[in-house]
Amino acid sequence: MHDAVVVALRETLGKVTGFIYPNELELQWSILIVLYPYLTGLVAGAFILASLERVFNVKVLKPTYRLSLLTALAFLVIAPLPLQVHLGHPERSFNILFTPNPTSAMAMFGFVYLWYLMAVLLLEIWLDYRKDIVGWADSDPSWLKRLIYKVMTLGVFKPTAKSFEIDDKVGRALTVIGLPSAILLHGYVGFIFGSIKANPWWSTPLMPIIFLFSAMASGIAGVLLLYMFLCWARDVEIEMPCLDTVAKYFLTAVIIAFSLEMLETVQKAYEAEEHFDILQLLIEGKLYLSLIVVQVWLGSLMPILLVGLTQLFELPDKVRKVFYAVSGSLSLVGIFAMRWNVVVGGQFFSKSLMGFTTYKLELAGREGLFSAFVISILPLVVLGVLLWLLPPWEKKPAKA
Amino acid sequence: MQALRRRDFLRITAGAAASLLAGALRAPAAWAEKFYREPPWRRKKPYWGFGVDVDKCIGCARCVDACKTENDVPREPFYFRTWVERYVIRKDGEVQIEAPNGGLDGYPRVEDAATVAKSFFVPKLCNLCENSPCVQVCPVGATFKTEDGVVLIDKKYCIGCRYCIQACPYGTRYFHPVLQVADKCSVCYHRLKRGLVTACVEVCPTGARMVGDLSDPESNVTKFRENNRVQALKANMGTEPKLVYKGLDKEVR
Amino acid sequence: MKDIEHLVRVAVIFLTAIAFFLVARAMIKPPDYGKLGRYRAGALDDIKALPVKYAGQASCAGCHKAQAKEKAGSSHRGMACESCHGALAAHAAAPKGPKPSKPSEAEMRRFCLRCHEASVSRPAKFPTVDDSKHNPDVACSMCHKPHAPKL
Repeated sequence: MHDAVVVALRETLGKVTGFIYPNELELQWSILIVLYPYLTGLVAGAFILASLERVFNVKVLKPTYRLSLLTALAFLVIAPLPLQVHLGHPERSFNILFTPNPTSAMAMFGFVYLWYLMAVLLLEIWLDYRKDIVGWADSDPSWLKRLIYKVMTLGVFKPTAKSFEIDDKVGRALTVIGLPSAILLHGYVGFIFGSIKANPWWSTPLMPIIFLFSAMASGIAGVLLLYMFLCWARDVEIEMPCLDTVAKYFLTAVIIAFSLEMLETVQKAYEAEEHFDILQLLIEGKLYLSLIVVQVWLGSLMPILLVGLTQLFELPDKVRKVFYAVSGSLSLVGIFAMRWNVVVGGQFFSKSLMGFTTYKLELAGREGLFSAFVISILPLVVLGVLLWLLPPWEKKPAKA
Repeated sequence: MQALRRRDFLRITAGAAASLLAGALRAPAAWAEKFYREPPWRRKKPYWGFGVDVDKCIGCARCVDACKTENDVPREPFYFRTWVERYVIRKDGEVQIEAPNGGLDGYPRVEDAATVAKSFFVPKLCNLCENSPCVQVCPVGATFKTEDGVVLIDKKYCIGCRYCIQACPYGTRYFHPVLQVADKCSVCYHRLKRGLVTACVEVCPTGARMVGDLSDPESNVTKFRENNRVQALKANMGTEPKLVYKGLDKEVR
Repeated sequence: MKDIEHLVRVAVIFLTAIAFFLVARAMIKPPDYGKLGRYRAGALDDIKALPVKYAGQASCAGCHKAQAKEKAGSSHRGMACESCHGALAAHAAAPKGPKPSKPSEAEMRRFCLRCHEASVSRPAKFPTVDDSKHNPDVACSMCHKPHAPKL
């Protein structure tokens, strides 16, 4: 394993431009660490969309409420996987939970994560589905599913009507707690990067907020696409008022995220501190394609233009659907590029500010493209299982 | 019930406001003291520090070789606990920095010597930060500062997340390809504890490097700091390195 | 009570999980973690116990008195023996065992020039020679004794 790393690094030696500190040849955080904030962002975004329905009572979003929650859960379950795979000693990872260093942004991840997964998301989904679960535990044609549902009722097979009222109140309270938790979860991911003063590309107090809004954009885009796809797959009509509202939130998030990113860039350019020269070279050189083309033009400006058009003009349903789908997809790609530009881009240049190293994405290997691909597909597999077990729509009556 | 709640609420609010106010009034006195921070070596003996005299370094890289031998650092040209950079500053302002294989293979001949304004060697190693960013970010406490001021790594406890490597402003850390943990200069802690100097100091032919006890007013590093105008790298980072240099140039990164 | 029975059960599951976590933590956390600071105190012992490879000047001078004395009066007085002869803790521990290395005549020129080759980067006062002009192809030791190099 390590021999491959050494061989690859020897190749990289010839591709250094300018001067880097010798230890900086190896790019420490690979594509897996790009995936981590990407997946976490999808979680936060999807959950915030769900919360809008619940907390702010946006009734029109009802069709996507459960779907957003399940999406958030599916991605949350997989989110720590790339981190785990990336560790030099995965078997020691529990040290983070047992002896966390309180000054480390990373150490808090385990706790924020567990809190969010256990206390907020699982509980909220469970409370929301409990009525159905109790019913399915009796009526589902498959014995396996009946068994699972029975376990999920926790043995309360004959709930009282009052208990559902209580569930609703507790659920609402949970969402109210969950909203700041989701913001914390992802704002915190931004802080992991934003708090590294050694790296001028990362170090900015805006980082958590930028991460948060781009997370919202990606999460909402994800749910939007999933909703459209599932409607098509199940052969049911898309509820356009719902889709329009989701798209409106999406547009808001994209505009805010993009404005913050530009604000950050303008500020850096205007202050033009000693690191500005190298950052400019970075943007115009190694990151030109992934930042200017993919993140800014395709990932931000195109969606703003397309969804913006639907807001300005009355367009037929069909056109709107196409615009939404294209914008959502572009945004998902663009935000992946944004994570890439932050994580990998921040490691291209030397902390001596005098040169660049390179990153060769391997196909195979623990941190290769293939492994990243598998990890990105996994949440969708989990989501498939969740949809099978906890369909967010009315279950079709069992064929008699 | 309602009234009682309100009374409680008022009392808590008033209490919180009062303590905030008291804190605000107390602040100015504490504020003045902030400008003087007692050096940690006043309180703790010994307290290790390091000095580098750039004017004495001849760029022979004996230190790099000795360090790799003493500490079993992989021989590949991208893993170093210490390395030596050569700066060539031309009369037209062009700056050229090189450290091929950390200096171990020597340096390419400087072309057009007549156009060189100045040139010198700068050895690099762990900066022994008093406020170490690497210690700050380590999630599990596998990298830590000892009571005598040295930043070390617990290789049996490190999970290999590489956050510390990102956090070090000086690029002194690397990821050990065999052990799969972070690694860096330990100022040869195992040697210091046996009363020996670090391997790099031991072999340095010109005395450009020195290690010593900052708490001892007569020690080499204390005298070095007193008798010279010394400077730390990237002082703006607030890391307060206990590695100081004499004869640095503004171009040194 | 019946209305919140399910919530009580959830609470019990959560508390059990937390208890399980605390027990696991107590069992797995190294006992010496936190004794000296936020780290495993045993790590210090591990590091202190690492083997020394360079014996140190005092160790060399203890036996090789004549060479040490000769060197002490020369311009190489500031240099440690191991600077040229390599890491020798193993030799100091077992003098009959591994022997100090010494550059051969063939490699000597390259060896000495590693420090003494003329270069704009070296301090001006440091004695250097131009390889191509200073008796090329002659081993340095023809004229200069390494332990007392001044002619």
